[in-house]
Amino acid sequence: MSLDPRAHAAFAAAVGAENIVDDPVRRRAYECDGLTGYRVVPDMVLLPRTAEEVAASVRVCHEHGIPFVARGAGTGLSGGALPVADGVVISLARLKRVLEVDPENRRAVVEPGVTNLEITGAAASHGLYYAPDPSSQQVCTIGGNVAENSGGAHCLKYGFTTNHVLSVEVVLPDGTLVTLGGDSPEQQGPDLRGVFLGSEGTLGITTKIVVRLLRTPETVRTLLADFPSVGEAGDVVSDIVAAGIVPAAVEMMDTLAIEAAEEAVHAGYTLGTPAALVVELDGPVEECDDQFEQVKVICDKHGCTRLHIAGSPEERAAIWRGRKAAFAAVGRISPDYFVQDGVVPRTRLAEVLGRIADMGSEAGIRVANVFHAGDGNLHPLVLYSAAAGETERAEKLSGQIAELCVELGGSLSGEHGIGTDKACSMPKMFSEDDLAVMQRVRTAFDADGICNPGKVLPTPRLCGERPGKYSPHPLEESGVIERL
Amino acid sequence: MTSTEHGAAPTTLRPENLHEARDAVLDTPGSLGITGAGTAADWAGRLRDVDAVLDLSGLHGIIAHNPGDMTVSVHAGTPLRDLQAELAEHGQHVSLDAARIADGATVGGLVATADAGPSALVHGGMRDLVIGTTTLLADGTVARSGGHVIKNVAGYDLAKLMHGSYGTLGALVEVVLRLHPTPKATGTVALACPLAEAAGHASRVLESPLEPTALEWISGERSTSEQGRLLVRIESTEAALPARMERVAALLGAGAETTSDDVWDVHVSLVRGSGDGAVLRIGARPSRLPGLLAGLPCTTVTAGLGTGVATVTVPGTAVAEAHEAVHAVGGTSVLRRRPAGLDAPAWGPPPSALAVLNAVKAQFDPDGRFGPGRFDPWEIP
Ligand SMILES: Cc1cc2nc3c(=O)[nH]c(=O)nc-3n(C[C@H](O)[C@H](O)[C@H](O)COP(=O)(O)OP(=O)(O)OC[C@H]3O[C@@H](n4cnc5c(N)ncnc54)[C@H](O)[C@@H]3O)c2cc1C
Repeated sequence: MSLDPRAHAAFAAAVGAENIVDDPVRRRAYECDGLTGYRVVPDMVLLPRTAEEVAASVRVCHEHGIPFVARGAGTGLSGGALPVADGVVISLARLKRVLEVDPENRRAVVEPGVTNLEITGAAASHGLYYAPDPSSQQVCTIGGNVAENSGGAHCLKYGFTTNHVLSVEVVLPDGTLVTLGGDSPEQQGPDLRGVFLGSEGTLGITTKIVVRLLRTPETVRTLLADFPSVGEAGDVVSDIVAAGIVPAAVEMMDTLAIEAAEEAVHAGYTLGTPAALVVELDGPVEECDDQFEQVKVICDKHGCTRLHIAGSPEERAAIWRGRKAAFAAVGRISPDYFVQDGVVPRTRLAEVLGRIADMGSEAGIRVANVFHAGDGNLHPLVLYSAAAGETERAEKLSGQIAELCVELGGSLSGEHGIGTDKACSMPKMFSEDDLAVMQRVRTAFDADGICNPGKVLPTPRLCGERPGKYSPHPLEESGVIERL
Repeated sequence: MTSTEHGAAPTTLRPENLHEARDAVLDTPGSLGITGAGTAADWAGRLRDVDAVLDLSGLHGIIAHNPGDMTVSVHAGTPLRDLQAELAEHGQHVSLDAARIADGATVGGLVATADAGPSALVHGGMRDLVIGTTTLLADGTVARSGGHVIKNVAGYDLAKLMHGSYGTLGALVEVVLRLHPTPKATGTVALACPLAEAAGHASRVLESPLEPTALEWISGERSTSEQGRLLVRIESTEAALPARMERVAALLGAGAETTSDDVWDVHVSLVRGSGDGAVLRIGARPSRLPGLLAGLPCTTVTAGLGTGVATVTVPGTAVAEAHEAVHAVGGTSVLRRRPAGLDAPAWGPPPSALAVLNAVKAQFDPDGRFGPGRFDPWEIP
């Protein structure tokens, strides 16, 4: 315990001594998030119960120059909630009330510790739901979703967290409480709410969120289709898009991912098929039926080897169970794995998958693929065995895959965030000037640099004196974008 | 900071590419007003006397359109109208229907003024459509954020910061947008009724699974005594549209009828405003909007009953009290058109995060060179 005793007393005054965790064994429970390779035991964990207690805690941090890290459910996959040395963790787990469901204005007011699925649970009796649906939605918190700008399978049509949050109450890193955003999409001045969304806990702590709710669609049609190759499945997606159809979701899985999912949940996927697509349409019945027929024709045209149409809500649920289980299920076919989250322009899916396969075989490491095919967001699962000493090789491959996505004109991360994991890769995607300007944003919110330091932007401490040198973006090289 | 002699017209700088824009910013001392097509020059706070105007309309044209990925990158001075025309050939469009697109508003200008139209109900505004930006700062720094893919969480999203910044933080020079398929078929159902009644109908439409793309009440064109109308826009496939329209009409009941899409031109002209009134853009919780508007001396109204966003014309003398009334119900308001000589506040009371806005301004434009006055009376330096 290296905390200044005065700070300790001040924290106790802020949240009550009983809401402080400083027992070393219990503190351990907070040493990492879903990216378990990185671990730091925090000096102290605070469990405030109200926004005022959060603000009081942050004020103590501000006064004593103590770094703090906000934590929701700890399911993050990029090390965003990784504690920092000599710092405290502020857990939002006890701020978990749904404060208001307003069916007339189709919105809900919730505290950050409410889980994603609890929002839909609270709204369902009004025929409403909260659209962004990360696979972790049963456990991850809305505060974490706001911080990561989380996505989900249905974000292709409905947008990401940022498109569904009207306003956030935020404790700034100096302890003041402000509201970013407002009651309507019309905002006053620069969209600070939008800047905060996806800032990975580095600009403050959100203590209250107003989310938009959507009317449950009238019809949902879901199909599962097998294809002889990933390329052909990709062509189906292109043709759906070219036909002017915006599906609610288009997900793809490869042989290895299917094998894992089937072993775990027996959802009825075809073992051995090179690629399976889940396509879901929703909306008013007339249009949904019309477009669903078109999708079936497109699947046939591209050599679909099996077309399974969900005939009941149970069958639909089974298809999704297979898809959503894929992540965790790879644990069945591999002792350890890394999840990557890079994005490529959708039209380059087949190319990137081919290259990932080559890189995998070169490294002697298997890669399973399950991804959001509609928006090009990959989730390569890099399978390895730590016991067999493969960690370093797997980690390297994992990083190379993320950087490959940038090379192909995409992004390091579609939804899991940069966090600790990919901060050192940021110079592959952004120039020094770009990153310096992002730092200006951070400084405007957090002049003292105490709010989740070391995350998102590369630092010499984390990445070495010369964080990976920037090389021109391929679009820049081809003259599509320019830089001075 | 230097300033022009009172009354002397500021120099206009009209760069044709990023390099020239950067040189213009670096070589011109003093304050700069940033403009695109100038279609929102009198929106928000009045630009104070500046030394020069940086006109970005010379940075125009498509940089890359990727139809298969449904993304396009453009120079920020490109009129959205022109871009839509080119995209239409591929059956795609930018899902934004702000009124001033027809006047030639540029992509950068639409972002900087946070403009949006009725389809914001489904598609949101520019903030929801921009996926990447390149911005030129007052010190000549050129910064990119986002990218060319629709899903991307790497780094802070500077596009959001530029959205609604009215040229005070930087000059947008390139913008990447996500595209949507142009709807195969569009139709509108209209029902003549007063606002309060329209609100009830709108609630039922929103509770139904009919998924309108826009849901607006418009006042009579010339006076509020003329009957207003509720407009419900449906976008669909050719095969499905008739049935969907019928269901909307049935839900609205007697008097509802299919109307020509030209009715949206009336909406556009009401949003622009006319005569000698002041135009205010208002946002509020949707359920509070009808009551709020009923209490204002509006001469014309368009009210988004699903979004809570309204555009109204009021006498210039009523602007200050209108701001107060909007604020009292938790809403936001900004002046969009001011009659000549009107000296009314452009904005209502400042947001609680004013200190953050000031800190951002200090980081991005420490000398206060860009767009002085646009956030008056909030006292952003
Ligand atoms: C099996 C599995 C599946 C997943 N699937 C998806 C998916 O489909 N889509 C997706 O987007 N993600 C997915 N994730 C990642 C993860 O669930 C999301 O990033 C989620 O939003 C994290 O929420 P959390 O409550 O666990 O946050 P944490 O992990 O506790 O924290 C995440 C970040 O948010 C910050 N934070 C937390 N609360 C606050 C707050 N109140 N204010 C400010 N900052 C805060 C933290 O400091 C940290 O930087 C998955 C994870 C797992 C383990």
